[in-house]
This record gives sequence, structure tokens and C-alpha cells, in this order.
Amino acid sequence: MYPRPIPEDARIQRALYLGGVALVVILWLLPLLAVMLTSIRSNEELMAGNYWGWPQKFSLIENYKAVFEQTAMLRFFLNSLLITIPSVIGVLILSTLTGFVLSRYPFRGSNLIFALFVGGNFLPAQIMMIPVRDLMVRLGLYDTVYALIIFHIAFQTGFATLFMRNFIAALPGELFQAARAEGASPFQTLRHVVVPLVRPALAALAILTFTFVWNDYFWAIVLTQSDAVKPVTAGLNNLRGEWTSAWNIVSAATIFVALPPVVMFFMMQKHFVAGLTMGAVKG
Amino acid sequence: MTTKLAALSTTRRRFLKGTGAALAASATGGLCLPALAQAQEITIISNLGNAQQREILQRLATEFEAKSGAKVVINNMDHEAHKTAIRSYLVVGAPDICFWFSGNRMKAFVAKGLFDDISDLFARENYKSVLGATTSAVTVGDKQYGLPMGGILWGLFYRKDVFAQHNWTPPKDWKEFLAFGEAAKSANLVPISMGTKELWPAGGWFDHMNLRINGLDKHIALMDGKVQYTDPMLTPVFDKWNDLLKAGFFSPSHSSFGWEQAGAALAQKKAAMMDLGGFVRSAFPEADLPQLAYAPFPEIVPGVARYEDFSVNSIHVPANAKNRQGARDFLAYFYKPENLGAFLAAEGAIPPRNDCPPSHDPLVNAAVEELKKVVATSQYYDRDTDPDMAQEGMTALQEFMVKPDRRDQILGRLEKTRKRIFG
Amino acid sequence: MSRLWRRNRHWVTPALFLLPGLILFGTVILAASIETVWISLHDWDGIGAKTWVGLANYIELADDPQFYVSLKNNVIWLLIFMLAPPIGLALALIVNQQIRGMRILKSLFFVPLVLATVTVGVVFGWVYDPNFGLLQLLFGAFGGTAPALLSDETFVTFAVAAAGLWPQIAFCMILFLAGLNSLNDDLIAAGRVDGARGWRMLRHVVLPQLSQVGFIAIAVTVIGALRSFDMIAVMTSGGPYGSCTVLAYQMYQESIFSYRFGYGAAIATVLFVIMIVFIAWYLNGLIKAERSNA
Repeated sequence: MYPRPIPEDARIQRALYLGGVALVVILWLLPLLAVMLTSIRSNEELMAGNYWGWPQKFSLIENYKAVFEQTAMLRFFLNSLLITIPSVIGVLILSTLTGFVLSRYPFRGSNLIFALFVGGNFLPAQIMMIPVRDLMVRLGLYDTVYALIIFHIAFQTGFATLFMRNFIAALPGELFQAARAEGASPFQTLRHVVVPLVRPALAALAILTFTFVWNDYFWAIVLTQSDAVKPVTAGLNNLRGEWTSAWNIVSAATIFVALPPVVMFFMMQKHFVAGLTMGAVKG
Repeated sequence: MTTKLAALSTTRRRFLKGTGAALAASATGGLCLPALAQAQEITIISNLGNAQQREILQRLATEFEAKSGAKVVINNMDHEAHKTAIRSYLVVGAPDICFWFSGNRMKAFVAKGLFDDISDLFARENYKSVLGATTSAVTVGDKQYGLPMGGILWGLFYRKDVFAQHNWTPPKDWKEFLAFGEAAKSANLVPISMGTKELWPAGGWFDHMNLRINGLDKHIALMDGKVQYTDPMLTPVFDKWNDLLKAGFFSPSHSSFGWEQAGAALAQKKAAMMDLGGFVRSAFPEADLPQLAYAPFPEIVPGVARYEDFSVNSIHVPANAKNRQGARDFLAYFYKPENLGAFLAAEGAIPPRNDCPPSHDPLVNAAVEELKKVVATSQYYDRDTDPDMAQEGMTALQEFMVKPDRRDQILGRLEKTRKRIFG
Repeated sequence: MSRLWRRNRHWVTPALFLLPGLILFGTVILAASIETVWISLHDWDGIGAKTWVGLANYIELADDPQFYVSLKNNVIWLLIFMLAPPIGLALALIVNQQIRGMRILKSLFFVPLVLATVTVGVVFGWVYDPNFGLLQLLFGAFGGTAPALLSDETFVTFAVAAAGLWPQIAFCMILFLAGLNSLNDDLIAAGRVDGARGWRMLRHVVLPQLSQVGFIAIAVTVIGALRSFDMIAVMTSGGPYGSCTVLAYQMYQESIFSYRFGYGAAIATVLFVIMIVFIAWYLNGLIKAERSNA
């Protein structure tokens, strides 16, 4: 362990250390706390200029209720789920396949293909705006969730392939030699050797992909227009335009949008660091 | 250009007639909803920042659904985001009805064949008789491509109680304006509230000074790319503007917020005046609305006739709409005088029809009165010139407001852009 | 048939595994990127027909002051973002203690990473607001007036990049935390025996073991910096007067606001070229690391 662990018996030292870190966390999250505070503030108070003081009256319920009742955020929220979940599943499947092949079946040109995946993923996505939009129009998918799902799967597969390839490459080679010695087909190897071992990597990848797709704003505005398919980020920005002076409502909606990735992250945090350790770091 | 100017000035006159008139035998008569409007869908993309207007539109849609059996789906977009989104959706995935701006900004899409010719609807509902010359705002070569919506008369807004408290009267000419600014500053108020984050308010201020100094013909020539941005006629405009900047007339750090926040500063008595349209009312709490008042932009060069920016919004049927008949039926319902009147009253805009119910809003009535004194009108910087030019131009004007010393460099750049666009 | 299958399955199955990802990625991402280069050789308003203009867009770009503003700002973003790896490492070191309750604090540090850019934009918009922002509150406490960062051409890029830095630090922190978790304990113990402590231990024993993860952190950070778009779109729209645009944003602006898709595509292509230089560096590093591992 580095830094050297504070000894278990130095209780006071440990408590002080924890307190110090907690203070840093508060400073670190101060801007976010301010937004949370605003989300429970009443409109009158904001109009009166009380932006930072402690709220005299808590309007938590009213504000969040307003978000659900007076805006279409709930629908945008469901749209986001409809877009994000299939995208994450698609990315996990495709990248396990590509990562497996690229790490364990070297062939002439495999490095080039790998380089294309990595390189393509590093491109600023904005430069593909016009061609991608035209493609979706030609496929008749413009302004449907499928347009976003297909694009996100395609784009995230680049990064995910890099991640999975590194992870699978770091698995002990003996396992694969043993599988080959037993005459296992590539499919059997995938099923019985790779899949059971990559779970932590998949967990980490799932969180990252979920976050990227859920938080996407650019493609949401390029590929959709109707409320029936618009995801929550585009909805939030619309809300900012429509409720310009109702900052408490905008804040409440902002917190609402941030919730799923945060919850997902907290739930899977343990797997996340473990998966990342093995996937990104050891590769 | 002369035809356009004539059209514009008549447009204005028709507006007056329209709003002045009482309900007066709404000649629209029995609006027939064809029976074929069954179980079909009509999609609308709106760009309404005003919650009340969104509610009214929704209410009208629901009423229409009940009457016709059609289903009406409204997608509202953020006003600024919509300006960019419309370029995509008119080509792919067009709704059946969309909101936009009449005049040049409409013509750009008409030229590309993206707006449907709705002359048939005009004939069917006999709109020309109630719109009169306003029809020209949506007409290209004898055909109508949209319905004119509310008109916005631009000018200076202020709070009556603040002015009364300091014994001020709205400045009439440049000398008074400068004196007023000094008085406001010594009363710890920002003389002119402005938020240029979305750029266009800077364009509007330029319009108003240029109209007062060079008049409408020269202004429109500039908008049409026929006058160079380095032309000496603009020197007094920027000189005088520079004086205001040097004297600290505008909100400090105005480029970091939009008009809403600037409007709030006016409402909160932190600023004395603001250059905007009647929609400034949405920045005011309901109780403070009676305090809000309008004053024309002060005269600068004596003898220049009174020209103003008067923008007319519009509503259209995209050429690629799936349900163009349904769109017409809904528009006919929406455009009934009482419905249109209610919708426009919510934003304080001036109705284009002469048979809308008279407004209860003193600001609207004041604007109507003011319009009578206006000789002719332009629309607004970003509605009168090429969109590409408008983008560069408004950015440059914002820069001038922050860095007036860079004037020559800025104007040189604008001239380069003008040459590229207009040749 | 079956023999044919058995003889070939060692390559057919992997090929089949590879194909879906490859086809999707190839047709959507790679083809679109190349098409952008093609569009950059045209004059196109995004609606009508394209007119071939050869290199005219690039020639105009070379003479466009805005282009150099964007380029300079991209460099500023890059420099500011380079703070993310060291700060992320520092935070990772701080929280890398097994104390009850530390896990929840760790997770709280990661929160900015999972926030949407729109959210971060809203949050920092309030920090910077000259009238009631957190910054003004801070300055006000000392009787000063905070500069209006978002409307000052000198500071605006720094301010926006600083907002972008927030989640980026969290990202680097996670990577380094993962790296610290997989340190070789024997080496650390050996270092301790040799009397290495604190800074020297970090410098000579720990950092060398973190070189791999450091490489990834830097790579991710460079991409993040060059890709910056959302934060600018949400916070300033490139303003004041275009002084905080970066290439990605200018491209968007020319295409969408000024309807010059060919010109926008030319800017995108320049960004593309810059990226390719970086990607080549990255891949080179990746392959080298792999060889030394093997």
C-alpha cells in the first residue's frame, strides 16, 4: 500500500484524517451542493436575491413535483433509459467479441484494425455530424431512438474494444493454451474461458458506457427533435431556455438528470475500480 | 427595394387598423372543419419561451382534437436551439406546422422550396381581407408561405415608478439621452440594461442608432450588402455608440447573460431603461407589470424620419410535412381571431388581424399608438440581413461593445465577410 | 462440409466475431469521418447541391483570424487539462487509505465524472455569475468584486476549461486509484527497507509503477481537451464575440449558425489531422508498452 496506511490503532489520527478528507470533498462538491440547495429553494426567495443563504422555506416537494408535472422530464427520462440500456448491452457484446479476437487471434492486419478502432474513437465526434445525420435519414431512422442507439453503439465500441482487448490480453495465457490443447473451438473458448473472467471489466465498462451515453447532449440534438424520443440532456437544456428565471426548477431537473448515473455508479463502485484496475491499468 | 419599403410601411398601417378595430363582425364566418380530418396526426414544432403561450397553444390543440378527431402533437423547443434545429428538420423529419420569422428569414427557406405554398388557405379563409398589406410579410411572388403572427415593436422600456421617483422623463433627443444616462448613473442605476450573451441585442442597438442617424433606406442597403461596413456613413454611428460605451451606459459584463437577466435587472430597479420588445413583460412579476412603460428610441440626427424595427413572427407548413391538409385545418382554427388574440396577448405582441379582440394590455395599445407615428419599418438585424452575415455581424457588434478601440479592425473584418457573402 | 468447417473454424469464427463491430464502426464512424474530408472540398449550405471548390475552404481558413483564436484556445485547453493527471494523482493518494467511511468519500469524489456536461455547465455558470455567483460571494467576503470571467476575452477560456477540468480530474483520479490498487507491495516494502519515504518513495518507487496508468490518464486527458465542445456550447456559446471558441465549436458554429458546411468540414479536417498526429503517438506508445511487457 502506498501511501503508508495509518495504523489501525491510531484512532484519533484516523478520525482526523477522515474529517480532513471529508472537508476536501465538501469543497470539491461545493458547486454541486449549491445547485442542490437551489433545487429546494422557493421562487420568491430567488427573486428576492437569496441565492446562497440557507433557505428560509424548503420547497423540495413543490419544486420536484413541478419538474414532474409541469415539464416533460419524466418522458425524457424514460427515453434516455430506452436509448442507454440497449446501447450499453450492444457495446458490451460487440466489444467482448472484437476485444477477444483482436487480443487472442493475431492476424495480418489485426493491429491495423485495432488502430482504426482506437483512432476512430479518439476523433471528436462532432466532425461526423453531417454524414451521420444523412445516414440516419437514409435509413429512415432519423428522430427515432434507434438512430441514437446505433450511433452510440458504433462510437463506444471503439473505446470498449480497446478496453476489452487490453483486459483479455492480460488474462493468463495458459488458460488459452489449455483450452486449445483440449481442442476447444473459438466459440467454446469465448464462452467458457473469456466470459466468466471478464465480468469485472464488463461492470466497469457498463458504468463508463452508461455515463457517456446517458450524458450525451450533442447527438441528442443532432439526431432527434420530437419530445417522444428526446433524451433527458436535450430536455434539460430545453428546460433552461423555457424556465430561464425559475432556477429552482432548473436545478431540481438538473439533479434529477444526474441521479441515474450517480446511483448506478454507487451501486457498482467496487466492481468499477476492480475492473478498471485489471482492464485499463494492467493492459 | 422600394417595393419592399412600400410594403413594409403599409404593413404597419394595416396593423394599426387591425388592432384598433373592435371585434367587428368577424367575417371569417363558419369555419368548416372537413370531415376527412379523422384519426390523423398533426405535429407541431414550437419555439415558445413563454409558459402561458405554451398553455394556450396546448389548449387550442386539445379543443381542435375534440372537434376534428385528429391528434395534435406539440413539441416545444428552446427558442435559440430551434433556430438551428429548423435547418435540419425542414429537410428531414418535418413536422406539419412550425414557428418561424417572416420576411427575409422566411424567404431563405421559400427559395429552397422548404415551406409549403398556403395561398389556398388564404383564399379559403379570406385572410387577405383581415390582414391587408400584412400579407406581404409572408408573400413571395404572389404566393403566401405562412401566416403572420404577433408583431414586436422595438424601443426603450422603463419603470414608471423609478422615473417618477427621480423626476425623469424619457429622453427625446441625443442631448437628453446623454444627460439622462448621467442622472441614472448618479442614482446608482445602470442607464441601459443589456444582456448580449445571445448576441442579438447588440444587433438591435446598432439598428436603432443607424435608423436614427442614416434612416431606413441606407440601413436596408447595408442589410442587403450594398453598402460597405467601412463606409463613412457608419462613422457617426460608431462614434456616438463609442461615447456611450466610454461613459458606461450599458450593463457591465453584458456578454455573460441573456436578455432575461437584463430584463430582471430592469424589474428589480437596478437599471433605468432597456432596449427590447413588449415581451420584456415576461421578466416582470405580475404585480409590477403596470409600472412597465414604453418610450421610443431617442432622436439622434434631427430631421431623420421616425423608422423603427418592427418584427413579425410567423407560422408555416413545411413543404415536407406529412399531413399538409391537417396542418391547414389546424391553422384555420388556431388563426380564428379570438384564438390568435388570446395567444398573442400572452406575449404582449400586436395581432396582425384587424378583427382580433381589442387588447387589455396597455403596453400593446401603447405600441399600436406609437406605430401610428412611425413612418416605415425594418424587422431586425438578424431578420433583415443574410443569416451568415448576421452571425458575423452580431458577434462583431458585441465585440465592439466590449472593445470599442478595435473598431477599425472589427469593421474591416465585417467588410471582408460582406464581400464574401454579397460579392 | 463438416470437414471444411473444422479446417477453417479457427479463423472463420473469429472473423464472424469481429465483423459486427467492424462493420458498424466502419460504416458509421470511419466512413462518416472520411465523408467529412470530402465535404470540406465543397461549398455547401447543408440543404442544396454541393459545389466543388477544391482547396478554397482551406485557403480561406489560413486567413481567418477566428481560426487562430480557436487554435490558440485548443492549446489553452490542452495546457489546463494537463493539470488533471497530477491533481487526480494527488487526490488518489489522499483517499487511498483503508478507513471506515473512506469508501463513500471516494465515491463522492467521482461524482463530477458521471454528471452530464449540461449539468456541469449549469453548476459552473452559477459559480462564475458576476452578480450572485460563488466566486463573487468569495470576493465579496474580502470586500472585492469578482471579475466577470465569462465575459472577459482573456479569462473566459481558462474559466470554461476549469469547469471542464472538474470531471476530468475525477476521471484521472479513478485511473490512478486503480493503479495504486495494483502496486507491487514487494517493491514498496523493499523501498521502505531502503529508507525511502514520502516524496522519494513516490518519485522512485511508486511513479515508475504508475507509468502505464499515467500514460492512459494523459491520453484520455488530451482527447478530452481536443474534443471540448459541450462545455463551451452550454456555458458561453463561444463568446464573448467568439473569443473562447475551439476548433470543434467553430466547426459547429460555421456549419449550423452560418450554414457553411463545407467550411465547417474544413475546420473539422484540420482537427482530424491534429488528432491523427496524437493518435499515432498514442498507438506508438501502446505498442511499445506491449512489446516491453511481452
